[in-house]
Amino acid sequence: MNKPSSFSLRGRKALVAIKDERDASIVKRQFERLGIDTVPWEPGGAVDGNADVALIDDDFLPLTSPAQRALLGRGPVIALLGTETPSRLKLVLELDPASFLVKPLRSAGIYAALVMAFERNERTNELKQQISKLDQRLRSRRVVLAAVLQVMHSHAIAEPAAFALIRRTAMEQRKTIEEISAEITARGYLPRATG
Amino acid sequence: MTKPSVPVGIICSQSGPYQAMGRELLKSALMAVDEINNANDFDFSFTPHVRDPRGVVSEYHAACDDLIRNVGVEHIVGCYTSASRKQVLPIVERTDRLLWHPARYEGFECSDNVIYVGASPNHNVLPLVRYALDNITRHFFCVGSNYVWTWETNRVTRELVTAAQGSILAERLLELGESTVDHIVDEIVRRRPPAVFNTLVGSSSYEFIRAFHAATTAAGLNIPMLSCSLCEPELKVVGPASAGCITSSAYFESIRLPENRAFVSRWKARYGDASSPSVDGQSTYVAVYLLARALQRAGTSNIAEVRRAAAGLRYHSPQGPVWIDGSNNHCVLTPRLAVSNTDGQFDIFWEADAPVKPDPYLTQLDVAVSTVRETARDDASPNAPHLRIVK
Repeated sequence: MNKPSSFSLRGRKALVAIKDERDASIVKRQFERLGIDTVPWEPGGAVDGNADVALIDDDFLPLTSPAQRALLGRGPVIALLGTETPSRLKLVLELDPASFLVKPLRSAGIYAALVMAFERNERTNELKQQISKLDQRLRSRRVVLAAVLQVMHSHAIAEPAAFALIRRTAMEQRKTIEEISAEITARGYLPRATG
Repeated sequence: MTKPSVPVGIICSQSGPYQAMGRELLKSALMAVDEINNANDFDFSFTPHVRDPRGVVSEYHAACDDLIRNVGVEHIVGCYTSASRKQVLPIVERTDRLLWHPARYEGFECSDNVIYVGASPNHNVLPLVRYALDNITRHFFCVGSNYVWTWETNRVTRELVTAAQGSILAERLLELGESTVDHIVDEIVRRRPPAVFNTLVGSSSYEFIRAFHAATTAAGLNIPMLSCSLCEPELKVVGPASAGCITSSAYFESIRLPENRAFVSRWKARYGDASSPSVDGQSTYVAVYLLARALQRAGTSNIAEVRRAAAGLRYHSPQGPVWIDGSNNHCVLTPRLAVSNTDGQFDIFWEADAPVKPDPYLTQLDVAVSTVRETARDDASPNAPHLRIVK
């Protein structure tokens, strides 16, 4: 399935916590134009965990409940700034916002803030996945090293040849080097390679 | 008894790079103002206050500021380019005035202080590209002026074409006003693309069309050209080389409606038989009429009241019925496709069978489906634009 384009916002759901009525009505109207469902929220109330994005007014900060912060963290957060003072920005940064808007709001800027938030979130998620993969590989290096040493001993070959043999075996068995290394260390010998 | 006068600001560049279009806007605005002032339908008359920013972007801000601060206008008609509209936007928003913007534009804007009378991207780019994909080719050579209109038009085109397993063979951009086009024409003749999409504006476009016509004729090539902006006064400027261009627009002089026939004859009586109204000019005329009718309905020039009164107020204009969609301040209008002929006119071969709701953010665009399903759902305009021969 194709991932939804960050430029097309129709059908997305937004949690909206805005104090000022005028700002809230501008957001609501612009969201209607963009085909976005608005879910009004006030800190203290129950959080709809299915929202795709959250707009949080800096007048509501700091969020006192860690549970609320955790739920908001699922989708990108757009911060609404009333002031640029570092003390306020510090509170805003705790939300790890993907984008921001400056109050008083205008219809202009809302679409761009949403697109940037979704795109930033998408890219951050990709990076997180990549980091997790690298982290896993880093942790399994110890196993790979142990497997290489074992093959060096059992086959009386140098380290590059041992690694090449493990890699070839992994490719032939359609497994990762880490998986085949785990098997070598567990069994004590190199799984039978063909060819 | 003299009617009370309502001052109206008109901002059109009558000199500079797009002076020709600016003059068209002004001619149309003044024609509408005179008609309204001479009609018995309105309890007021308009006093036009014309400003010429000479195509200099920064001068639009000063012109608008002067009209609001010194003349005291609440309504301004004009601004041809998006760059000029963006200059005026902060002032009209800050002072809560209304800008009646007549030109087609690329969308992705929705200010409460602007009434967008021209076509939205779903009115012009979409029908043209859909038609070309269905009937001509899936592979396009794009040439355009290096500014926001071309960038966004090409972006939408690329999305539609890619979804149809087609391709953008090239995307060549020229700076605004640039008239050196031979290298692009040479490339087209060499590569022989199945279609050329021209989003050049002004003199660049005229030079390109002439050079393209000469080169392809000499090479014995018949490459269709597509455009979202070409209009009758430009066909006259370019000459016979402009024939054969497939063009998307909400207005053509050749529309066979009684309102348009009457409009064209009034136009020619005023500006001469050789003169033709343009799409953006006609849209300016519509903008002034929509303003007058909204003022009449509201009974006040108060912005919020006028905006409310304008929403949904149906006007049988030269281009057919139009009205403002109150949810986004853009115009509901009828998209059309035509091909330019050697008489400097357009032969219309398709039009939507009902006015189409504006979709400035293209929220209804689904690149994988046909135009029929893409049409915005709206009780006021339930019909999708099916292909319909109107000749």
